Amino acid sequence: MQQLDNQEILMKLKASKQFWDIKKKIKQGFNEQLKIGVNDIQKFAQSCEIEDQLIKLISHILKKSKKRETLKEDQIEFLNTSKIKWTELLFKNLDIVHQKTKNQEEDDTNTDSKLYIYDEKNLLAFLQTFKQQQSNSLYQNVQFQSNKLLNINIPLKSSQSILDKYQYLLLQEELQDDKINKIRKQIENEHLDIELEKIAQNFVPNGERCLLYLKYFEFDHQETVIQQNFAKLQKECSNQLFYDELLEIDGHEISEDTFYFVFQEQILTCLKCFIRDKTIKENIRIQLQSGLKKENTEFQLPVAGFFPFKNISKYVAPICYLSTKIHIIYALFKEFFCRYFCFLHSISSENNSILALCMQIEEIVSTRSPKLFHHLKVIGSDTLKLIMHQLVYCFIGDMDPPHILTIYDQIIGHDSLEILIILCVGFLNKYKPKLLLAKNYENVQQIFSELREDKFQELVQFAYKQ
Amino acid sequence: MLIISIKFYQNCSSNLKFKTSFRNCILEAFKRRLWKETDGDDWDIMWAEKEWIHEVMDHTHLQSNQKINHFRNHYELTRKDLMIKNLKRFKKNLEREGKQDDANNYNFFPLTFHLPSEYPIFFEEFKRQCSNGETKTAWIMKPIGKSQGKGIFIFNKIQQISQWKNTLRYNQDNPQAEAYIVQKYIADPLLIGGKKFDMRIYLLCTSYQPLTLYLYRTGFARFTHHRYDNEDITNTYVHLTNVAIQKTSDNYDEKLGGKWNLQTLKLYLMTKYGQEKVAETFYNIQMLMVRSLQAVQKIIINDKHCFELYGFDILLDAQLKPWLLEVNASPSMTSNTPVDFELKCGLLDDVFTIIDLEKVLTGNEEQIGGFDLICKGSPIKLPINSTFTTYLGAFNNRQQQLKKIAKSTAIRLAQTYQETQTKAIEIGSKGQKEKEEKDKQMRSSSKGPQAMQNGVNGSNKPNNQSKQNTIMKRNTTNLPALGTVQNRSNIKRQPLQNAGQQQQQLQQSQSNSSKKNNPNEESMLSANQKLQKLTQESKINQFQPYKQQSQYNDVMGMGSRNQQKNEE
Repeated sequence: MQQLDNQEILMKLKASKQFWDIKKKIKQGFNEQLKIGVNDIQKFAQSCEIEDQLIKLISHILKKSKKRETLKEDQIEFLNTSKIKWTELLFKNLDIVHQKTKNQEEDDTNTDSKLYIYDEKNLLAFLQTFKQQQSNSLYQNVQFQSNKLLNINIPLKSSQSILDKYQYLLLQEELQDDKINKIRKQIENEHLDIELEKIAQNFVPNGERCLLYLKYFEFDHQETVIQQNFAKLQKECSNQLFYDELLEIDGHEISEDTFYFVFQEQILTCLKCFIRDKTIKENIRIQLQSGLKKENTEFQLPVAGFFPFKNISKYVAPICYLSTKIHIIYALFKEFFCRYFCFLHSISSENNSILALCMQIEEIVSTRSPKLFHHLKVIGSDTLKLIMHQLVYCFIGDMDPPHILTIYDQIIGHDSLEILIILCVGFLNKYKPKLLLAKNYENVQQIFSELREDKFQELVQFAYKQ
Repeated sequence: MLIISIKFYQNCSSNLKFKTSFRNCILEAFKRRLWKETDGDDWDIMWAEKEWIHEVMDHTHLQSNQKINHFRNHYELTRKDLMIKNLKRFKKNLEREGKQDDANNYNFFPLTFHLPSEYPIFFEEFKRQCSNGETKTAWIMKPIGKSQGKGIFIFNKIQQISQWKNTLRYNQDNPQAEAYIVQKYIADPLLIGGKKFDMRIYLLCTSYQPLTLYLYRTGFARFTHHRYDNEDITNTYVHLTNVAIQKTSDNYDEKLGGKWNLQTLKLYLMTKYGQEKVAETFYNIQMLMVRSLQAVQKIIINDKHCFELYGFDILLDAQLKPWLLEVNASPSMTSNTPVDFELKCGLLDDVFTIIDLEKVLTGNEEQIGGFDLICKGSPIKLPINSTFTTYLGAFNNRQQQLKKIAKSTAIRLAQTYQETQTKAIEIGSKGQKEKEEKDKQMRSSSKGPQAMQNGVNGSNKPNNQSKQNTIMKRNTTNLPALGTVQNRSNIKRQPLQNAGQQQQQLQQSQSNSSKKNNPNEESMLSANQKLQKLTQESKINQFQPYKQQSQYNDVMGMGSRNQQKNEE
């Protein structure tokens, strides 16, 4: 018998109806806690000589079926109390915003477009308070001599390991048509997480991204379900919420971006559904706010479990370049937010959290470009203040949509947000000569107000430039 | 200041005169080139309204140098009914000639009937479609003589046009009856963000014999402001993309004008559908335009005085198949956003460069500004190894390209000037020698005519050399596939320059240059030396980049002041 390679075996396996039946059986069996007919599987596997592949497949299905618990408590107690404080603060902000909108209704001439509960600057300012608190309460004997904005004792990966991990991107080249076709076929036939991640790490051809994402999130055979769920949520949108108003205001900003203004309506619809989606709480990997309701407040947290923040629309916008179907856009956005972007807004010691990402950036910049780091500190524009917007919003609005989607590929490829660290470092290195000439914060702002074009590959190159 | 100067040109840019009744981007584009406006008949170029062509052109004698922006019977292509008639006829001819494959390519226009003349055939077709169960097939009625979406309506029941049919004006025998066309409505258009859109693409025809076409890289997609709804056929905001209609919508966005430039659209399509499919679509669009003009090539009266800038309206369906909606002979040159303003001024500037009133081009240029030559006698095929199938929607590198073309043209003109000078000196000295020889011959027997022939042959050599220098190669290195920075939102509209001031500046610079440069000395300089000197001067004057650059371009008759300023 002719020896087949793994890929061919897998493709052969998937071509048979039995494969899908067994997959269904295994999935159902696990979910309903019934015993799986091992004999059936074994018999089948033996007859096809694909036992190894089947083991791989079963472990994949089990991994997928395992319900992921939302992270509610952090291992560092200090961060748990901070999250409660952050939530309280946001409730206060909500009251102020509500008051402002009331005033606006009464006085049409007073139109304040800055109506949001919090933005990335508020978040950074809050993170900054940790330094003093932690030093006062927990580490009284430790002398904090660092110039870093954030210096909290949380477990961090070594910066070098992160840099090493993404170094392969430097060698990425545009692929020829035949290679693209091969990858295309691979995406069409592949179902295993590990394999899809490998593709995402290297190169996803335009036009195939949507399918890859759908397969990775296991939506590829569930379009009808997705559509029905979305239709239900859309119906619920007929009940107006105060948050809808904030989302509409948020959408105005995206409508000024040439690339996204066409999608303003779709983005708004997605977000209105998102804050009403009860399944978010179950699916989100980390709790954004503690959920405590402050007494005497008029509003509660939305059903989704967190407050909509400024520029939330940005996260939906690039996904509109993947599909013309709004329910697909919504499903992809929901998965991206619940798996990854939620970490950019949570007070946590997790590796993906905003706190860890910020500290990693500071660490790399201060060791690899100490002159720049010091200069920025002196002129009152700390590294993090400069980069926070790009970091929190994944460079959306700073790069063209295809480049943003390449970032999304990398996020999926490594199941991590660490690529943002590389890009932020690259971004600072790119503008380093100009930044070193800046004499004050206004100069810095001027540099970034100029017309500029940042590209994914370019920033990666700059990140590794000494 | 300027060494390469006006005397190298057959026509000096500032002596050219234009005439137009338009007061929008057209006037601005003329002014940016420093041409003078005239009310009289001494114009070099006239941007006329279509009506002027019909009423006056046949009774006017045009001078050999005069150019006008319409062909006499352009309506054969640009009137909705005639366009369809000609396309149908051409397709039939191809079928008759046995060119079935070519005929099959003419499938880019929807099923169309002329009303009232073809009402019975239309009614039969309508009934046939209903009996086939296609009850939801919608039809669109368009009045022939109107533009900007006026008078258009959509229907799917025959009763819906009974009111129109019963009006007094509808009568087959009534010459006053308002003519309409009725087209099968393309019900599955490609939707982006849930909205319908069509594309406006610009094509310049400089001659019908041979068919010479230039395609502009940048066009735009016009979006409706409301989500598309196949059921609601009465809402014009949903179905018609005309800016004139969308402007009246409640949520019309003045900043962006409901438009995407073609580069952004291409970027979206590429991200969504992949490079291969989009390249094929854009190539099909280019071929659609060439085929449309080929269909009327023998009908349009060719005239060396005429050129025409067409605005093609093209719709993509959900399968990315392009459909021709109509061809406009006078595409709107009124802008609704700063980006739009720059696009149209740049477009017109490039049209003027191609028309070549200054007579500086060789005619072999494959790209001029944002225009690419796509047909000269027959469609131009790009090299097999090219990454592009068409430059439509590619990065519009017009600024860089104009600079290159200006540079190479300057060198060529300076060389030609030098050669003519040398030739004149040679002829002068030869004339003297010949005179002396003649005198000698008079004295003895002669071989005069042979010597004369040698002299003429010899003088041809430098001309051939200069021709070699004029062949320009298309530079594809500056053409990134996804370049879109040029038109991102923060391009600011530059303040418009006062034409009077500009003229003063030019006059000043001209007088300066004539004061500084001794013409005899100058003619002795080689072209390269002149160019070097020019470059050096531009370095010295780097604190006046605007003045320097604009003069360079003004003399060349290329580029536009404000855009140069922007780039610098």
